[in-house]
Amino acid sequence: MTDLTSKREQSLSYLILVIPAVAIYFAVVAFPTAFSVALSLTNYNGGKVFGNPKVHFAGVKSYIEIFTNPNGYFYIALKNNMYIVLMSVFGQIPLGFILAYILSRKMIKGTDFFQTMVYLPNVISPVIIGILFKSFYLNSNSVYMEIVRIFNPAAEFTLNNHPMIPVLIVMLWMYTGMYVIIFLANIQRIDVSIIEAARIDGAKETQIFSRIILPALSGVIVTSAILAISGSLKSFDLIYVMTNGGPANQTSVLSLFMYMMAFRGAPNYPLANAISTVMVIISFILIGVTKSVEKKFGGKE
Amino acid sequence: MSKIKQGSPAGKIVVYVVMGIFTFLAIYPLLWLFIQSFKTTQEYLTSSKLALPKLWFFGNYPYAWNMGKFGILLVNSIIYTVVTVIAVVVLGFMAGFAFAKIKNKLTPLLHGIFIVGILLTLQSIMVPLFLMVTRVGLYDTRLGVLIPYIGLGLPMGVYLGTEFIKGIPDALIESARIDGAKFLTIFFRIIFPMTAPVAMTVGILTFTGTWNEFMLINILTSSDTIKSIPVGIGRFSGALASDYGKQFSALVIGVVPMLIFYLTFRKQITKGVAAGAVKG
Repeated sequence: MTDLTSKREQSLSYLILVIPAVAIYFAVVAFPTAFSVALSLTNYNGGKVFGNPKVHFAGVKSYIEIFTNPNGYFYIALKNNMYIVLMSVFGQIPLGFILAYILSRKMIKGTDFFQTMVYLPNVISPVIIGILFKSFYLNSNSVYMEIVRIFNPAAEFTLNNHPMIPVLIVMLWMYTGMYVIIFLANIQRIDVSIIEAARIDGAKETQIFSRIILPALSGVIVTSAILAISGSLKSFDLIYVMTNGGPANQTSVLSLFMYMMAFRGAPNYPLANAISTVMVIISFILIGVTKSVEKKFGGKE
Repeated sequence: MSKIKQGSPAGKIVVYVVMGIFTFLAIYPLLWLFIQSFKTTQEYLTSSKLALPKLWFFGNYPYAWNMGKFGILLVNSIIYTVVTVIAVVVLGFMAGFAFAKIKNKLTPLLHGIFIVGILLTLQSIMVPLFLMVTRVGLYDTRLGVLIPYIGLGLPMGVYLGTEFIKGIPDALIESARIDGAKFLTIFFRIIFPMTAPVAMTVGILTFTGTWNEFMLINILTSSDTIKSIPVGIGRFSGALASDYGKQFSALVIGVVPMLIFYLTFRKQITKGVAAGAVKG
């Protein structure tokens, strides 16, 4: 009898504890995600969603439009997103790893100070960083141009050749510190006695690095790659403020493309939501690839 | 036996140079910004961009403060951040406790849905969220900003809360149960106070994310009285962009609160980043 009431108390408590979080999360994230996919399959463009006679099921029309519309810049945006992914995975992660390694092996004094400074750009709003770097080099009156003119007084500011490069550099500047912190925390968890033992056996610094530290961190490297991939696809604020996709959409990314379709000019909600859905699919594909690369080559710790 | 040598002197120098360059690059742009904010726009445009101001001019700050309406934006930013942090920690850990310690068939499904949320991007819910918030009449209200912020913070809170509470011994809960305590009492009286270290981590990660959030509040609000600091700063990239003096001081106004926060909590922030990334 008491057992029965305590069972009931148990499920009731469970629900009371879980419902507030679940309700808000479903309302704000889970339901809108499904809603977004549904909208991408209609022709809805404003007004009431339900009971609106003009709204009907349109199938994958918007998805076809993304890939075939000659005026759209889906492929430019996609290519830029891929640049960001590549820069994160092959720029931020290795650089972060090297710096974390230097800091962790006590090769240097003032670890605490360096760690604090290296992570600093991460806590500053991307909006501030975007505007700051616009003045720092994205115009003819910038610090960058002043330095260039020291070497070539006739230099003119131009963004035409590779407009994504400044954006990628700022991203490298901003987020490398995050990987330094992640790797540092994990290197510090490796048992020091193993490293000491290896050193007594005559292992060189490079051998300690490649035989002990690198294998122990392979799992963390994969996690970081996943973070980098999902983070890359989220990038918006910085580019929105820094270049707003310009010149001529050359620095646009998928999230900005989506934003422009939904909130600039006449809204095209189905197309915008189709872009979001494609972004989610791309992100899951990339994460799947990363996971399978790990399975193939990765030594689990 | 002599002390085991740790790298050659030349190697040491290289290491210091690498770290030094990287540190310099990390902070110089911010230092530069701070210095330039004391130049008048006129002086900024005519002098060298690398020079110190000839006369340290403080007048940009009051102008930027008023033009950016930072008084009200600061109040809003504080409201959004504080409420979001408290809600994410309390609600997230309540759910985390239930997932970790109370048997229920729903747990794998619900917990799984929260974890997927960590990887989802804001972009994939922006349009529906905008339509829903407008539809229920919360467009351009503080509540209409807060609810989405809380919902977006919850996956991280639930994830870290569940993991931490799993590590608390079951015996503690069982003995309280034998004494007749209900689960809700156990959570609020025993478990929640024990979660302080991870609550700090979640709180700080949520704080940074909410304080710097820019895109969502832009589409969910239109009045200056509802917006937050990043939106106010964003204004200085548009029409006011050519007035460099004011623009730079607006950026400094935006940087300073986060800088103070970071230097105060840097240990917990870096710990939190590491903890958040161990998931995989």
